[in-house]
Amino acid sequence: MLEAQNLTKSYTAGKNVLDHVNFQIDREEIFCMFGANGAGKTTTINLFLDFIQPTEGKALIDGITVKDEPLKAKQHVAYVSENVMLYDNFSAYQNIDYFTRLAGRSKLGRKDYAQVLGQVGLDEAQFEMRVRHYSKGMRQKLGIAIAIIKDASNILLDEPTSGLDPEAGAEFLELLSYLKEGGKSIFMSTHDIFRAKIVADRIGFLKEGSLVMMKSREELMNEDLSALYIEYMQSEKSAEKHDISSDDS
Amino acid sequence: MLSTIIKKEILDTIISPKFIFTFLLCTVLIILSVITGIGNYASELDEYGAAVALNKKNLESQPNYGTLAGTGSKINKRPEVLSTLVVGVQESVGRVAKVNISFDPGLEDSKHNSNPVYAVFGALDLIFIVKIVLSLFAILFTYDSIAGERERGTLKLALSNPVPRDRLILGKAIGGFISLLTPLVIPMLLGLVILVVHPSVVLAGEEWARIGLIFLLFLFYLSVFFTLGLLVSARSARSSNSLLVLLFIWVTFVTIIPKASIMIAGEIYPIPSIHEVTAEKDAFLQEIQGAAPGRVNKWVADNPSDNTPEWQEKFRIFLEDIQQELTALIDKKNAEIEEAYQAKRRSQQNLAMNISRISPASALMFGAMNLARTGLDEHESFLNSIKSYKPVFTKWVNEKMMRSLNFDGGEQPKPDVSDMPLHTFSSESLNRSLARVIPDYVAMAVMILIFFAAAFVSFLRYDVR
Repeated sequence: MLEAQNLTKSYTAGKNVLDHVNFQIDREEIFCMFGANGAGKTTTINLFLDFIQPTEGKALIDGITVKDEPLKAKQHVAYVSENVMLYDNFSAYQNIDYFTRLAGRSKLGRKDYAQVLGQVGLDEAQFEMRVRHYSKGMRQKLGIAIAIIKDASNILLDEPTSGLDPEAGAEFLELLSYLKEGGKSIFMSTHDIFRAKIVADRIGFLKEGSLVMMKSREELMNEDLSALYIEYMQSEKSAEKHDISSDDS
Repeated sequence: MLSTIIKKEILDTIISPKFIFTFLLCTVLIILSVITGIGNYASELDEYGAAVALNKKNLESQPNYGTLAGTGSKINKRPEVLSTLVVGVQESVGRVAKVNISFDPGLEDSKHNSNPVYAVFGALDLIFIVKIVLSLFAILFTYDSIAGERERGTLKLALSNPVPRDRLILGKAIGGFISLLTPLVIPMLLGLVILVVHPSVVLAGEEWARIGLIFLLFLFYLSVFFTLGLLVSARSARSSNSLLVLLFIWVTFVTIIPKASIMIAGEIYPIPSIHEVTAEKDAFLQEIQGAAPGRVNKWVADNPSDNTPEWQEKFRIFLEDIQQELTALIDKKNAEIEEAYQAKRRSQQNLAMNISRISPASALMFGAMNLARTGLDEHESFLNSIKSYKPVFTKWVNEKMMRSLNFDGGEQPKPDVSDMPLHTFSSESLNRSLARVIPDYVAMAVMILIFFAAAFVSFLRYDVR
């Protein structure tokens, strides 16, 4: 379970890049967070990964406060970035082996890696190929494989579908559904309204650091998400800010 | 986990094109330098043997002791076996000293003297390769070790795992350093094999100890640039900035500080030029030589010649005494002038060396040359041994010359050099060399500790986003 409690970050006094954000993502739930560039999506992820410290509030992973016990908290979370960055001179095997060992799962071996790499849709011939020859879609699959093999109960995805072609995008959504069914809590920051609508159980709109709206899948059924997105993004933050505490519960 | 990080660092480096290039270049350069070093040493050893034999023949072929006293004996410096690895100053300072009754001896006939083109390009020895090439590779291996991983995003992915940052920087440092050493160690081992199997090269136990200490010095030197690279990389957000800063520091350390230190020491502690010193010696020599005929004339006037054997013997003894007295006076005065000059020069030299020790490149040069016995101190010791030998030779040749005087105008006897005192020189002991090198080790160890501690702290606070 991922939880943000009044999560706030400011670099200069009086200007919050993340402003008292609250949400909770349960097991088997995909939460998609929308927002313009600089709205605070990546800041939220960075706070969950202890890359920055909150000014106020806290980020919790499976009940563990990240700020207090960062290493313990990181055992329970996997991370996939926008452009999955790996060691280009390494093969898929070598990359997955390194990150699996960093995750503390040093007992796993090539058989396990092969199984997960196959599971995310990479061909066997690609396992030994240097990652520098991978397409963006293949890198994304390998990133997901690294996240899967960590076997963390929570996954943070930072704009994972950006730049994927339709086929790779569809494969990615399948993987996401598979992870969700495996009981994961998934946080995905994205601009991809189309794909978010397919997989998200809940969506949130982040504007200038504030979570200005949160809607469930059911609430979205009869709404045009694109229109909603544009409407929220163009509106004034203060005027449109919703009381979302009830949505979080 | 530490071993995982170390293994990854090594693997990531050794499969990279930069490592392959580095390894090949270092292998070619190191083996070439050893082969060239052995070739030079073998030919210098042959030249040394020939020069010693020629000198003996030359001494024996002199028509009398008078010409022997003027011609003198040529003392050749035996080439150092470790010059195969560290050429040092021996190519610049000369290998031969001429000892006669007149002039203060100095080394001449350097390799640069006989062929100035060597001075233009310098020697391709192991020191050059480590000082220039490998230190640049240390920078190349580290400038992006942290900033580059941040740019690529792999640092963020790694730290999204439960990895303590101190473990990560330690693993990166150990793995990176092992990778950097590979292009040095493997070619160097090959070079040592070539050295051992070559018939001209005989390495005693002490030489092996010296080689080990030189290698340790190389490790210290490369560690300085390696930890500096880590530090700058851990203080930079972009690897391109890191590279620029490191190149600037490298140029300052390797080229500017050593040269500037000599200029600064010269300004702080000016010394007379060698020409002024020589002029002072020459003036005294002329003064003595000018006074000598007057004393002889006075003696002859006081002791009118009756040309009897008794008078001749008395005159011979007078001449021997005056000759010994005057040459002793010249030697004493020269020694005083030389001592005063050398004391000033040494003070200036020590000041320059101590200033330049801010640069690890200087510490490496001084340390390696001292250990290989091809440095300034060895040169100075050899020169001092020549200067100590000069009065011994002068006394012997004066005695022989005066005793062989023939007042009847007959032929003087040919010199017999079988009882001529020989010049001896013992190279510096290992303990003494080690004592000289310790400041260089300490200077570099301090830099390594400071740079690594700063890199460590910087990485703990590093913004990985």
